Amino acid sequence: MMNITCPFCGKRNESEFIHGGPVGAVRPDPNAVSDEEWVEYLTVTPNPLGPVQEKWWHARGCGEWFSIWRDTRTHDIVEAPDGTT
Amino acid sequence: MSYDVTIERCGQKALFDLKGALDAVSQWAGDALPSLPIRPNSRTEEDGIELFHIGRDHWITRAPLAQEDAIEARLKPTDCPADISIVRVSDTMTFFCIVGPDAGQVMSIACPMDLHDSVFRTDAVSYTEVFGLKALVMRCQDGIEFAVEQSFADMVEDYLIRATA
Repeated sequence: MMNITCPFCGKRNESEFIHGGPVGAVRPDPNAVSDEEWVEYLTVTPNPLGPVQEKWWHARGCGEWFSIWRDTRTHDIVEAPDGTT
Repeated sequence: MSYDVTIERCGQKALFDLKGALDAVSQWAGDALPSLPIRPNSRTEEDGIELFHIGRDHWITRAPLAQEDAIEARLKPTDCPADISIVRVSDTMTFFCIVGPDAGQVMSIACPMDLHDSVFRTDAVSYTEVFGLKALVMRCQDGIEFAVEQSFADMVEDYLIRATA
């Protein structure tokens, strides 16, 4: 069980939250990318071995949407890698 | 194991859901409501009217049911500016009071949040889970009070009876 820090409520039990999936890539201009790149954007979600940025919804709490960085190897919530938010 | 608690299913209260920026809501509400609590998950109370800060730019006000029409007349939900929202939600939530020496023990069965006095203070109020349902939890005299969506009230009452039997 993880404890997740909501920006409004503070640290809360994971069960209060709903996972909103990884933060995806920036939407490319569909007219400026190849079909393969467009399909990749649509269907391939980030799944790294290590820190991944994820969206979470405090559904059974204040209703806030926010993102965290979680290390997929340990489930630890970690600092954003340098140069990212 | 039985617990030394009293469970009360409370009667309906006047409830209004307020959304919008602090200044905009305060300006529209005028003196119809106490001052809006600023600190997250805290509450204020004045003349029997309570205000709960339960989300970003989101408050709930609670008052005795007898004051519902008067508060609605002063808040004028249908006339409020587009940048705020005021909705009467009196019939959407059912409140339960768990009072007695073992109130904390019973709540620890139902709720994952730490409700000890040192963490969950007298003026604290927050949405969290009670028996897996979204619930508004706060302190009351000698115990804990919480509200769940009205349609789950019978089920939650049954859960409480089973938990304390």
